[in-house]
Amino acid sequence: MKVAATEIDGRKVYSVRAFNGGVASYLGKLPTLWIEGEITELRRQERWASVFFTLKDPEDGACLPVQMPRGQFDVLELGLSDGERVHVFGRPELYAQRAELRLKALTIERYGVGAHLAALERLKRTLATEGLFDDSRKRALPRYPRLIGLVTGNDAAAKRDVLTHITQRFPPANVLVAETYVQGPRAVASICTAIGDLSHRGADVIVLARGGGSFEDLLPFSDERVVRAVAACQVPVVSAVGHEQDTPLCDLAADVRASTPTAAARLVVPDFAELRERLERGRTNLRRGAQRAADRHVERLTATRDRLSRAPALALERKRARLDNAHARLGTLSPLATLDRGYAIVRRGDTVIRAAAQVSSGERLSVRVADGTFPVTADE
Amino acid sequence: MSEPTFEEAQRELESIVERLERGDAGIDELTELWERGEELYRICAAKLDGVRGKIEELARSGDTPPESG
Repeated sequence: MKVAATEIDGRKVYSVRAFNGGVASYLGKLPTLWIEGEITELRRQERWASVFFTLKDPEDGACLPVQMPRGQFDVLELGLSDGERVHVFGRPELYAQRAELRLKALTIERYGVGAHLAALERLKRTLATEGLFDDSRKRALPRYPRLIGLVTGNDAAAKRDVLTHITQRFPPANVLVAETYVQGPRAVASICTAIGDLSHRGADVIVLARGGGSFEDLLPFSDERVVRAVAACQVPVVSAVGHEQDTPLCDLAADVRASTPTAAARLVVPDFAELRERLERGRTNLRRGAQRAADRHVERLTATRDRLSRAPALALERKRARLDNAHARLGTLSPLATLDRGYAIVRRGDTVIRAAAQVSSGERLSVRVADGTFPVTADE
Repeated sequence: MSEPTFEEAQRELESIVERLERGDAGIDELTELWERGEELYRICAAKLDGVRGKIEELARSGDTPPESG
């Protein structure tokens, strides 16, 4: 296109139309190329010859208007909707009437999930081969953590959820929160730094919390650097990222995975009420146990004293029995038993007469028989 | 003897209770065990009730804060 200037007072002056046309033809010399971005503000109507949308840079939000002939767009049958990531093949174009820059699209390819998934799958296999996800690497969480490190975005919801559940379940819990970027280009470095800092500051367990999000939103949590940082962390890591159905790779490298913030809280702190109850039970048992042990000692002592007090009487009785026994045996030896059979003992005074020669005629003697004594006089 | 952790104190308390219940503690030890048990109870209770947890924010090492949302 020819851009003609008019000479006015020695100065070359262009009409707006000529200027726009000139820029447009200059832009037209730029090559056709591929551009990646997210589809937003997609506008398509049957009565329009073209389809319009804005291609947005997912990282810093830079925008580029795109136009594509409706026929070509429809033929692709992509069924695109806002938020999808695409590769657009096209060239820059200036809508001369309004000096508006746009990309004239020749074709569009859906990009993202499929390609990302494949890359993730490869990374997952590599890390698994290295043993990063092995069960043998999993560590037990401390039962009573001194300091809980919490890595979370400042998106309030996830952070508040975890904090609320932790403090409700266990009010004495100490938590050190590291706010990080949880999505976008800075997220990965920021998460890795936070993990290192928290363990350095004495956290004995670290919770990685991130609310649900799109597949792309959660990508930093599958980034190799983050996954390795989780695996290499000095203290156990609980991964509470996304929802139940999401499985970012950091879940696999973490020591425990929690599907919700509540579950994460349950994992990292004990139940206060239960603990309190157990403690009170311990104290009650202590008192009861001590009482019972003391009672047993007292009982034993009482029993011993009883035996002590009964001991002298018992000993006396035993002696008496022995005496009686001896006495009985003595009875069997007594001469009275012999007298019973009809024998008699003859005495002169105290002297027992053992021979006839001992007795003189007319002597008075006494005869002892079983039931008594009577006097006799010896004959000639 | 340094102050035991909550977990250590609780374990010791429970083992004292077990001993008392088994009944093999001598009379001289009894008071000692009971007093130790009470002390452990107080230590545990103080750890649970006395201390409110702290929630601190780690200063970010990054440059600008991320926009919320």
